[in-house]
Amino acid sequence: MSTSLRNYLLDKAPFLTACAMLVAILATYASLQRGVFSIDELNLVTGSAMTLILVATGQTIVILRGGIDLSVGGMVSLGTVIAATQFGTDPVNIVLWSSAILLLGFLIGAANGVMINYLQLQPFLVTLATWSVLSGVAMIILPTDGGSVPDWWIGFGYSEFLGLAGPVWMMIALIGFWFWFKSTRLGTTIRATGSSEKSAFLSGVSIMRVDIAAYGLSGFFAAAGALYLTTQTGGGSPIIGKDYILPSVAAAVIGGVSLFGGRGGLMGTVVGAFILILIGSLVFALRISSHWQPVLSGLILLVAVLTSSLTEKTAKGQAQ
Amino acid sequence: MDLIEVSGLTKRYGGIVALEQASFSARAGEVHALIGENGAGKSTFIQILAGAVAHDGGDVLFDGAHYNPANPDDAETTGVTAVFQELSLIPDLTVEENIWFRREPRRWWGAADRRELRRKTLDLFEKYEFPPIQADRDVRRLTLAEQQIVEIAKGLAKSTRVLILDEATSALPAKETEWLLKLTRKLAEEGLLVIFISHRMGEVRSIADRMTIFRNGSTVATHVTDEVSDDEIVAQMIGRQMDRLYPERRDTTTGRIALKVSNLECGSRLRGVGFELREGEVLGVGGLQGHGHRELFQSLFGASRSTGEVELWGRTTRFNTPSQALSGREGIALVPEDRGGQGLLNSMSVRENLTLSVQRRMTWCGLVDSKREAALVREMVDLLSIKVDTPEQEAGTLSGGNQQKVVFGKMLLTEARVLLLYDPTRGVDVGTKSEIFQLMRDLAAQGYAILFHSSDMPELVHVCDRVMVLRAGHVAALLDRSAISEEAILRAAVLEKDT
Repeated sequence: MSTSLRNYLLDKAPFLTACAMLVAILATYASLQRGVFSIDELNLVTGSAMTLILVATGQTIVILRGGIDLSVGGMVSLGTVIAATQFGTDPVNIVLWSSAILLLGFLIGAANGVMINYLQLQPFLVTLATWSVLSGVAMIILPTDGGSVPDWWIGFGYSEFLGLAGPVWMMIALIGFWFWFKSTRLGTTIRATGSSEKSAFLSGVSIMRVDIAAYGLSGFFAAAGALYLTTQTGGGSPIIGKDYILPSVAAAVIGGVSLFGGRGGLMGTVVGAFILILIGSLVFALRISSHWQPVLSGLILLVAVLTSSLTEKTAKGQAQ
Repeated sequence: MDLIEVSGLTKRYGGIVALEQASFSARAGEVHALIGENGAGKSTFIQILAGAVAHDGGDVLFDGAHYNPANPDDAETTGVTAVFQELSLIPDLTVEENIWFRREPRRWWGAADRRELRRKTLDLFEKYEFPPIQADRDVRRLTLAEQQIVEIAKGLAKSTRVLILDEATSALPAKETEWLLKLTRKLAEEGLLVIFISHRMGEVRSIADRMTIFRNGSTVATHVTDEVSDDEIVAQMIGRQMDRLYPERRDTTTGRIALKVSNLECGSRLRGVGFELREGEVLGVGGLQGHGHRELFQSLFGASRSTGEVELWGRTTRFNTPSQALSGREGIALVPEDRGGQGLLNSMSVRENLTLSVQRRMTWCGLVDSKREAALVREMVDLLSIKVDTPEQEAGTLSGGNQQKVVFGKMLLTEARVLLLYDPTRGVDVGTKSEIFQLMRDLAAQGYAILFHSSDMPELVHVCDRVMVLRAGHVAALLDRSAISEEAILRAAVLEKDT
C-alpha cells in the first residue's frame, strides 16, 4: 500500500469505522425488516434523528474547540416550553418567537463562552451550572409537559419536496453549511484552538472570540433542535432536554470527533447520530427488550474510542 | 541608520527581574547573534521584540520610530516575525494550513482557496529550497525536525523585515542545519535583519556578522564576530573565566560488559544493531537523524517493541515496558529527548518529579516515608546543584538547564547503572552543559555504563570513550578513542562504504 494511501486511511480510520458500523447495523436491520432501503424509511429515520443531529452539530463545534457543552439539555427544554407556551397560531408571531428562541440560544451559549474564557472556569462545570439554571427556568415556565403548537407546524416532518421530507432537506443544508463553515476563518480558528490553544494564541487568535462563537453556535443549534423537536412532539417539555446531552457527545465521539479537540467533523457526527437512532430501531426489530439499546450504544462507543486510540498509536509508531 | 535600536529595556515578572537595562542595535542586512546562558534574558528580549510580552521600561526604536507592539499580530504588521523555540504550530492542521494560518487565501464566500494555498506553499518551498515535506500532512504526524522546518516556513511566509530565529537549529539534523544556515545568510543578503539565537558557537561563528552577549538579564557587549575569540565570548557569558567546556577524559573502562546487544531491530529504522557497552565507559552514538538512534534508545528502554538479544550485566534481559527497565540496579534508565513532554511533569514539584520513578525506594506498605523522600531529594539537589528555592517549586518554572538536571536526578535515583542519554544537552546553556559532561565522566568513573547520543558532534568527540555511528539502521563504524573526530563520524554517517 502506498504511504499516502496508508496515511489517509489512518487519518480517516475513526470516521471510516463509524461508517462501517452504520453499514453493519443497516444490513442487520434490513435482514429483519423489509423496506429499510427506501425513501420512506430515510424520511422517517432522518425525521427522528434530526433533533439529535442539530444538538450534536453544536456539540461538535464545542468539542472541536476542546470543550464540552452540557447546557444543551437545558436549552432544548427551555426552547420547547417557550415555543409551546408562546407560539399561538399567528404565523408572524411564530416566526418572531422562533427567531427569539434561536437568538436566546446563541446568547446563552455566548454567555457560557464568556464565563469559561474570562473567568477561566472548566467548561464542564460552567455548562453543568447553566444546564441546571435553564432546566429550572423551563420548569417555572411550564411545570409539566404540555402547551401546543399549530398543526401546520407539526406537519413539517411530513412535508415533502421532490420526494424527500423536510428533515432530509434540513440535513442536506446542514452538511452544506458544514463544508463551508469548517474552512472559513472562524471554523479554522475554532479547530486550531481546540488542537493547541497555546499555539493558536501565539499565532494571534483571540481565544475569547473563539469561545464566544463556539459556545454561542452550540446554544444556537440546541435552540434549533428544540424548535424542531416541537414539530415532532407537538408541545413543550421541561425535562426532555436531558435526553440529548450525552447522546450529542456520544454521536460526535462515535463519528470520530476527538474529545481532546481539533480533530473530526460533522459528517462523523451525523453518522454517529444515525447509529444511535438506528440501534433503537434494530432492538425493536430484533424483538428484544428495549433495555438492550443502551448496552449496544455503549459497546459501539467503546469500539469508536478504541479505533481512534489504536490509529493514533499506529500513526505515532510510524512517525518515529 | 540602525533598523532596531534598544536602550534601557527592562522587564519584571513580579519581583523577578528578567531583563534590566538591556541595550542593542542591529541593522538591516546583517545576521545578528544573541548568545548567553539560559535565563540570561535572551528569551525575554526577543519576546518583547515579537510582541509576545510588553516591556516595563526603556525604549525600542524601529526604523527611527517608537515601537511597542501590543501583540504578535502588531509586531508582524510592523515587520517583525519570530520563530520561537517552543513551536507555535497547530497539530491538527496541515503543513500548508499552518504556514498560512489566519492569512489563508480565501474565496469570496469565505472558504479557503485550497488550490491557491497549495501553490503559494510550493512556491515558498521552492524559492528557499526547503527540504522535502508533504504539504497536506497534519503537522502532528511530522517529526520534531520537520515541525521546526514548517515553523521556519511559517516565519518566512510573513515576508518580514526582521526574522528572529530562537534556537531554530537545535531540533535540526546536520543537513537541515546547514540548509538553514545558508538560508539565513541569503535572507540577510536580501536585506533582512536576522536575529539568531543558538547555543552552538560554531554556527554563530559561521554566519553571524555581529553578536550581542547577554548575562544575568542584561546585555554585556556587542562584538563583530571576526574580532573576538571564543575564550573572550565564553568569559563574558559566564562572567568569569571558564576552565573548560569539556572535562578531562580519564579511561575508566573496565573489562566487564554492562550491556551487550545483538541483532536489535525495531520497525523500519533500526535494522540489526549489535555492540558492547562496558562498565565505566561512555559510548557515543552518532550519525544523521532518522537513522535509528531514537529507536535504539527506545527499544533498550522498553518503550518501543523490538526483536534481538539484549544482555545486561551478563544476563539475557528483555524489557517490554519502561517500568520493567527501571526496576533497580540491574535496570536501565533513560534521559529522553523531549524534556518537556517525556522527561518532566511541568506542573508537578521538583520533589515529585525526582521521586516519581522510585516510589518503591521510599514507601513502606504503600505509605510514603517522607523523611526518606526528603533525604533522597536533598541528595540529588546537592549532587547536581539544582538551583531551586524549595523542592516544592514547580518544575516548569525552572530554567532549561535546571530542568534537565531534575531529569538527571530522577534517572540517578533509580539506581540503574546503565544510563541512556538521548541528546541531554539540547537547549541547555553552556554552563550546565559543562556540568553535565563532568557528571557523565564522574559517573563513568564510578562504574556506570553510559550510552550517549548527541546531535552536536563536538560533544561526541570530546566526551566519549568510543563512538558508534549509525547509518540506515546499522552500525556503520565503531571508532576508538584515537580515531574519533568530527570528520570520521561524518564520513561514516554519510558515505556508503564503511570506513
